[in-house]
Amino acid sequence: MDYIVSILGPLAQGATVTLRLFAITLALAVPLGLALALARVSKSVALSQAVNGYIWLMRGTPLMLQMLFIYFALPFVPVVGVRLPDFPAAIVAFALNYAAYFAEIFRAGIQSIDRGQYEAAKVLGMTYGQTMRRIVLPQMVRRILPPMSNETITLVKDTSLIYVLALNDLLRAARGIVQRDFSTTPFIVAAAFYLVMTLVLTWGFQRLEKRYAKYGD
Amino acid sequence: MKKTLAALLLVSLGAVLAGCGKKEEPAPQAAAPAPAAVAKVVIGLDDNFPPMGFRDEKNEIVGFDIDMAREAARRMGAEVEFKPIDWSAKEAELSGKRVDALWNGLTITEERKQNIAFTAPYMENHQIIVVPADAAIKAKADLAGKVVGAQEGSSAVDAVKKDEAVFKSFKEFKTFGDNITALMDLSAGRLNAVVVDEVVGRYLVSKKPGEYAVLDENFGTEEYGVGVRKDDTEMLAKLNKALDGMKQDGTAGQISTKWFGKNIVK
Repeated sequence: MDYIVSILGPLAQGATVTLRLFAITLALAVPLGLALALARVSKSVALSQAVNGYIWLMRGTPLMLQMLFIYFALPFVPVVGVRLPDFPAAIVAFALNYAAYFAEIFRAGIQSIDRGQYEAAKVLGMTYGQTMRRIVLPQMVRRILPPMSNETITLVKDTSLIYVLALNDLLRAARGIVQRDFSTTPFIVAAAFYLVMTLVLTWGFQRLEKRYAKYGD
Repeated sequence: MKKTLAALLLVSLGAVLAGCGKKEEPAPQAAAPAPAAVAKVVIGLDDNFPPMGFRDEKNEIVGFDIDMAREAARRMGAEVEFKPIDWSAKEAELSGKRVDALWNGLTITEERKQNIAFTAPYMENHQIIVVPADAAIKAKADLAGKVVGAQEGSSAVDAVKKDEAVFKSFKEFKTFGDNITALMDLSAGRLNAVVVDEVVGRYLVSKKPGEYAVLDENFGTEEYGVGVRKDDTEMLAKLNKALDGMKQDGTAGQISTKWFGKNIVK
């Protein structure tokens, strides 16, 4: 027991790295994903196809590869070559990647709204923007909550990939202690940390679902 | 390889990445070759490499190499920063100027010399063979037909492969993300032996008394040095001078005694 208490400090520090990456990624990827989804369903074929290509690229290559690319290869790319520090590099990779997945979820939500509602909104004199904002998106939110909860929980666990940039997240901190003490207990404690995080998320999403249930059919 | 990858991803990523371009830091060009003191040295290390560099109960990076690097930096009149890196990407970290020196039980090998400039060696190391305490393996010859493990990207891999006859006699040679997973696999019975740096191996073996045995034979003697960029001759000269001074006046010996109980600095 004393041992578990002694490793809580470093693991909690690791957990803050995990949570920071998680929160910043979510804050960037949700708006970016929504913008991508709107571009994807727009009437402009060029825009829609460009976003389609982007989504293909981001979903078609491993997140770890994207992160390694942004960190190690990007500085050597002419013109756009930037040398991001480790944590920002991870943020950029995660946000760009998750935005692609979120975009598809949002698109599914938007396209699940009956065409008749668009026509009704048009009859009422609403513009496309107004229709989206007032009619389509509020209903979309209710429908995408279950898949969003899936993807968000996956994000919590995907953050452990940043070990490739040697960022000391929860899992890497646990591995470090395992290395030092040759004991597997830190893994179990780290698992408890993750479970608490996902429990909070699960609970949060369930509350959101209840709240948005009033927009039900 | 990198360029092909870059070109491929660039086409589609271009627009997005251009946006990120604004975040660009002023590229720290090779520090002006003026004789001015090196202001700050970023040391790249594997922070999961006890007792050379690891994290203590307070999550602070400590270890033999950490103390050595601090002392050397003090003598160079430079500030020191320790940056944990993924050890298998150490060359990229160094050439990408994310770190200025690799100082973490870095074995001097001919292969590494092509990309890294090394200081004079400061310590001798052996690649020891760890087996379960009750194993019938007593010598290298007994490893024939066995499954052997080592840390990926470590010099243990090079040392084993250099001993071609023995290497070819293995049933399988597996590399792991770190030494501890290799040793855990040894405990789990999926491996018959693990080859590991002596300083780390003995530290880890001592954590589980009675579980492992270290063979008398090993995969050769090697030396630890500090690695810097090949064109960074100024850093190399300063590090060599600092290390030399530390060996001469006994400071290095004291640090060694603190971590290993005896002076094993050479």
